[in-house]
Amino acid sequence: MTESAIGISAAVATARKPSPLVDRLLGTFVPRLIAGLAILLLWEFVVRVFAPAYVAKPTTVVMAIPRVITDSAFLAATGATLAAVAEGLAIALVFGTIIGLLMGRNAMFESAIRHYVNGFYAVPMIVVLPLFSLWFGYSSATRIATIIFAATFSIIINVADGARSVPREYLEVARSFRSGRLRMLIEIVLPASLPYLLAGFRLAAGRALIGAVVAEFFISVGGLGYYILYNSRSYHHNEAFVGVLLLAAFGVGFELLVNWNTRRFMPWYRRDEIEN
Amino acid sequence: MDAGSSAFADDDSGVSKKTVQTIDLRRHAPFWISLTAGIAVWEIAGRSTSAAFMVPFSETLVRFWQLVMGGEFLTQLLDSGQLFLTGFMLALFVGMPLGMLLARVPALRIGIEPYIMILYATPMVALIPFILSMMGFGFVPKVLVVFLFAVFPVLYNTVEGARSIKPELIEVAKSFRSSEWSLWREVMLPYTLPYTMTGVRQAIGRALVGMVAAEFFLSSTGLGQLIMSASQNFDTGGVFASILIIGLIGVGLMRLGLKIEQHFARWRQ
Repeated sequence: MTESAIGISAAVATARKPSPLVDRLLGTFVPRLIAGLAILLLWEFVVRVFAPAYVAKPTTVVMAIPRVITDSAFLAATGATLAAVAEGLAIALVFGTIIGLLMGRNAMFESAIRHYVNGFYAVPMIVVLPLFSLWFGYSSATRIATIIFAATFSIIINVADGARSVPREYLEVARSFRSGRLRMLIEIVLPASLPYLLAGFRLAAGRALIGAVVAEFFISVGGLGYYILYNSRSYHHNEAFVGVLLLAAFGVGFELLVNWNTRRFMPWYRRDEIEN
Repeated sequence: MDAGSSAFADDDSGVSKKTVQTIDLRRHAPFWISLTAGIAVWEIAGRSTSAAFMVPFSETLVRFWQLVMGGEFLTQLLDSGQLFLTGFMLALFVGMPLGMLLARVPALRIGIEPYIMILYATPMVALIPFILSMMGFGFVPKVLVVFLFAVFPVLYNTVEGARSIKPELIEVAKSFRSSEWSLWREVMLPYTLPYTMTGVRQAIGRALVGMVAAEFFLSSTGLGQLIMSASQNFDTGGVFASILIIGLIGVGLMRLGLKIEQHFARWRQ
């Protein structure tokens, strides 16, 4: 009884106080800040006590940041990797969407290639590297091919899922207005499966980034992955770690961008459905 | 149960068996047709290009048989399996309890969650050069790579599941003076397990990539070495045979992961 009374008075008190900002700050921001500082401190301490001097630790990485981001070699490497990822993703997006739409709406086509799409998706993308380097040589073509291979199948699978789950009424209405098949595919099925496409794209972007880095490790073609490899081999761990931070920022950035777009432009779509 | 089903089979065995067979055939026909067509395309493409580029399916099979007979394949498979299982199990046994601990202590969860999300989205391959230069070529750094690839999906999904536990459940358990141990066993575990298993499915795929990456970029062993040495010797047949095998292992493990996930998904509510 008394407890519930206190609860109510507390609720009233918080309702009267018009500062959800302070609440949020105390509720989430402060614990996150403390946890982040604790992680950084622990890392600094462990490296200082147990590891050799060249190993990256927060203070030295932070000091390396201004030096690295003004370094033209670093900027060129970042540009090369990002351009390759963007190019590969664009190609994967076009082919993945076309194949996915056809797969979702045509049972014959689906049963013909479904097992191959699922199979190639399950193949760890890294095993194709020796083959691709045999085919395309030790050049940036291998990197693009790896990115496309890494990204395409997750887009196909998701777009096909989306195209399959287009509400039947939409198609019936279109058909009763004598809409052509191609027009139906482009104007109804594609927009209706957009949330799935975005979910697939988010997955694909992460995989494309991994594909680019792995390809650069493998064939030593210039880029962010190679920058990391080269600098860590020559014991410039702090410089190399700035590259890792940038990669992490790209990974998180893609994720946030897609989530924001889904919420902003497709608010009717339930978040937890896209999550998987 | 047994008697009943046999009696039913006696009743109209001829008809029902036949229909079951035709339905089975019809259901699986597209799969076999597309498989045959794929193999045919591969065979034709392989025969009409240079042998350094592509090898027909038949030759790939022959090369695979040679690898199996030479004993090379089995030792490398066992080597890779050991690496995969050690790293994966470690990820499971660290990720699951840690995720549940975060569930039990909300302040900790709110604090650490964003960092787990960041690490989940970070391409872990980028850390391989650091691991190489700090820890060298042994078995331990390779296990670490597999572990790093696999642990964050498990952790991330377990925490996600932990958020789905209704606070009332824990309150009720507490008001019945449930001990901490039985609270974990009877509320936390059943509620988070389906989510953890989604993480396990993702972790299987990632751990496989991590395994091959470790075998490529750290000391060369296992199935990774099988591909690497074949590619360095311009043994295209060997490359195709090993990619086919790793691909089939990938598909098999993926299916296993999906089965495990679906099995536990029934608990989700």
